[in-house]
Amino acid sequence: MTKEFIGKRIKRNEDPRLLTGQALFVDDVDIPGMLHAAFVRSDYAHAKIVSIDTSTARQMPGVVAVYTAEDMGDEWQPGPPLVSPPPTVEDVVFHSRRQAPLVKDKVRHAGETVAVVVAESRYLAEDAAEEIWVEYDPLPAVVDIEKGLEPNSPLVHDDLESNLAAHLSQEKGDYEAAKAQADVVISKKIHIDRGAAAAMENRGIVAHWDEKGQLLTIWDTTQAPIPIRNGTAARLGLSENQVRVIAPFVGGGFGPKIMMFYPEEMLIPWISMKLCRPIKWIEDRRENFYATTQERGQVHEVEMALTKDGKILGLKDDFLHDTGAFDPYGLTIPLNTQSHVMGPYEIANFSSEFKVVFTNKTIVTPVRGAGRPQGVYIIERLMDAAARELDIDPIEIRKKNLIAPDAFPYSHSIIDQAFAELILDSGDYLPTFEKAIEMIGYRQFIEQEQPRLRAEGKYVGIGITPFIETTGVGPYEGARVQIEPSGKVNLATGIGTQGQGHFTSFAQIVAEQLGVDVTDVRIITGDTAEFHWGTGTFASRGAVVAGNAVYAAASGVRKKVLKMASKVLDAPEEELEIQDGMVRVADIPRMSISLGELAAQANPLRGAVEPGTEPGLEATDYFGPQYGATAFGTHAMIIEVDPETMLVEIKRYVTAEDCGRMLNPLIVEGQVHGGVSMGIGNAYYEQLHFDENGQLLNASLADYLIPSSMEMPPRIEVGHAETKSPLSELGTKGVGEAGTIPVPACFAQALENALQDFDLEIAETPLSPNRLYELLYKKEQ
Amino acid sequence: MRIEGEYTFSGTREDVWEIVRDPEILSTALPGTQKFEQVGENEYEGRMNVRIGPVSGTFGGKLTVSNEIPPESYTLTVEGTGKVGFLKGTGDVELLDQGDGTTLMKYDGEVQIGGRVASVGQRLFDTVSKSMIKQGLEKLDEALQARSSDAD
Repeated sequence: MTKEFIGKRIKRNEDPRLLTGQALFVDDVDIPGMLHAAFVRSDYAHAKIVSIDTSTARQMPGVVAVYTAEDMGDEWQPGPPLVSPPPTVEDVVFHSRRQAPLVKDKVRHAGETVAVVVAESRYLAEDAAEEIWVEYDPLPAVVDIEKGLEPNSPLVHDDLESNLAAHLSQEKGDYEAAKAQADVVISKKIHIDRGAAAAMENRGIVAHWDEKGQLLTIWDTTQAPIPIRNGTAARLGLSENQVRVIAPFVGGGFGPKIMMFYPEEMLIPWISMKLCRPIKWIEDRRENFYATTQERGQVHEVEMALTKDGKILGLKDDFLHDTGAFDPYGLTIPLNTQSHVMGPYEIANFSSEFKVVFTNKTIVTPVRGAGRPQGVYIIERLMDAAARELDIDPIEIRKKNLIAPDAFPYSHSIIDQAFAELILDSGDYLPTFEKAIEMIGYRQFIEQEQPRLRAEGKYVGIGITPFIETTGVGPYEGARVQIEPSGKVNLATGIGTQGQGHFTSFAQIVAEQLGVDVTDVRIITGDTAEFHWGTGTFASRGAVVAGNAVYAAASGVRKKVLKMASKVLDAPEEELEIQDGMVRVADIPRMSISLGELAAQANPLRGAVEPGTEPGLEATDYFGPQYGATAFGTHAMIIEVDPETMLVEIKRYVTAEDCGRMLNPLIVEGQVHGGVSMGIGNAYYEQLHFDENGQLLNASLADYLIPSSMEMPPRIEVGHAETKSPLSELGTKGVGEAGTIPVPACFAQALENALQDFDLEIAETPLSPNRLYELLYKKEQ
Repeated sequence: MRIEGEYTFSGTREDVWEIVRDPEILSTALPGTQKFEQVGENEYEGRMNVRIGPVSGTFGGKLTVSNEIPPESYTLTVEGTGKVGFLKGTGDVELLDQGDGTTLMKYDGEVQIGGRVASVGQRLFDTVSKSMIKQGLEKLDEALQARSSDAD
């Protein structure tokens, strides 16, 4: 039998290159004759542009070109719509408004691009950009989403009647009837605010139009190089194979680097073609805070109807969602929120209506979690409130409502972000939930440790939060696997890589099929010249969708290997085994041939081949799931709150994850660790503060706090369960966002538990030491 | 952002009024002022260099005085723009005769800031603006005392 690699804790193939600075990032690209771009961005959140004076800047030394919207003439056009609203939901309202490469009439958020300078160096470009004088006529800004829908609100888009960007309702069963039968109805208004993705690497793009070769090469920090290639070709009137988009190593994606068609992504390639010179632009951190997409702003009014023994009869969740100045990414986020409000619980009656609101703030598109953390926060806040109201243990009320293992595939009977019925493909939730409870020692903590520490005057608390994560959505991904005469294996797939360990997990899949070592598989991701079909890395879909495409392509090559070796070795295929780079007859080891030799023979230089024979040991295949695979997990934490400073120390952090079959538990755990860190930021540190004029007040890493080792728990313990997805050969489910999704909910639960003397009820996130102090202080008054 | 405070001048209300309405004295009082000139009856234009934490730059702007009730109160409107952002504010200034030869100035206004000044400097804006106002008012008080000793 071939050696097994899938499911093994294998160290990452890519790490030596990453850790020694040998990996290519966009800013490493340096081409002779390359020019540099700097942008003039609006200081105002909402203002008419009266005039732009570029005369001084154009005369400055080293300046090659300056462009405003006017200079683009007929070539000025807004970005493409990326995701349309679900066509199957009745009475859906959706007003598509997309960002422009350069602002023409009025600016709609601070940081919008007004002009671009191209110069011999970035320094000269920045200096010249400072000499461009833009006269604005400031307008009142739309900042608060509730006020934004009031009839007298200023309008972000003057051609619309209001700031309503979208409106969608979904119903399941009959909530009002369920409410009428309920023993108790819990209602809450919950506020969720924005944060940044704050990837370590900011965005960047280098575009190189080769006039003689008639080829445009773009290095882009994108999660989705193929849609960027196709969209760029369409915008610039080139054929798709004249555009090559390379997403090299990317220092963190987290959603905002998805196929956005940011203004810079539209402009830099266009300028390169205008000037026939390579152009580079690398975003700085302040630009990243203003101009890279953000997420999470929502206001929910929610009601839960229950029996007195804690069984949920129905749930009603109406909410507003902040989309910022434009809505290129459609309704993905609010649909995800809706999909996760019912979460892992069986809820027969559900009613949810959301309104998406335009505001004069940075555009909102998915950030790790993508609407899911909000959904989980809502349901879990209500579970805690219900447990308290009914005097039921918070664990027991959750157990009572978890979907039973024999109910899968379980339909939540609403439409999800992929416009398909939200079906949870598989799961066995209770054991994973109990695993987390056992790992953190819930009973022992509640019954012994907490009373003891309380007696010592310590405010310690515990939170335990189950959650689902819809992952691995379609439409499809592809892969091409080829064995070289050297015996090494090449794999190319269309998705980009931003640290997920693709160079290892995909290599494990290939290595297991082809009997080679994991380090013998050379992988190329995110280069459209190598593979040009697919969408991208998002929605925790890499291991599911691309992973199964890799499996299919590797299986195809395996079939070719066995068929050819059977002829060469004159033995039936069933008697052959592939191991250590050799194909051999199982019980006669000397009857063997190396994979490299077979590959050479499969590509003859002379002679004739049988008709229909394909050269080489190569196969391309695709995978598109019927619908997404849904993962489950439970996070638990024990915290201690300092009642003077409101600083929170996370004493223990435990997660139990069921992401289906694991390709590499080491990588799964790495994903969870990173996700938890982001979730802790979301819960207690990271909040973007906009003032009433739409000015972002903390656009630097000095003021916007990202958790450091000081705020992290000493360890994150990860437990595993594997309920394989029936939707694919590998049985994988995604885990890329799982670490982040339940953290704010779990944190709020632990805080309430630690501060039960204060009778604290938390109905907002992110919190902060300041905000917690205010909540407690107000309570005391 | 709200800016409010008070300051006691060692002089009569009439003397303080003269000082605060004298463009030449004002131009020397505000720290970082490069230019300050009267362009209309109650309108002034100027340039001022400002440093707020990591952000520094020159603001060019306009100051307008309105609602004048000599020597009791007036309203100031400021609009400034520069490479590092913009500033826009309105504030009411009141002078109260303390009856002991001193005058209490009360000021209360709203300021909007934008651009780099807001996004990076916001945390320090409050402190810096307070200290600039204090410095400015102290300078005015010095001028007031110099003038009264000249008169003596």
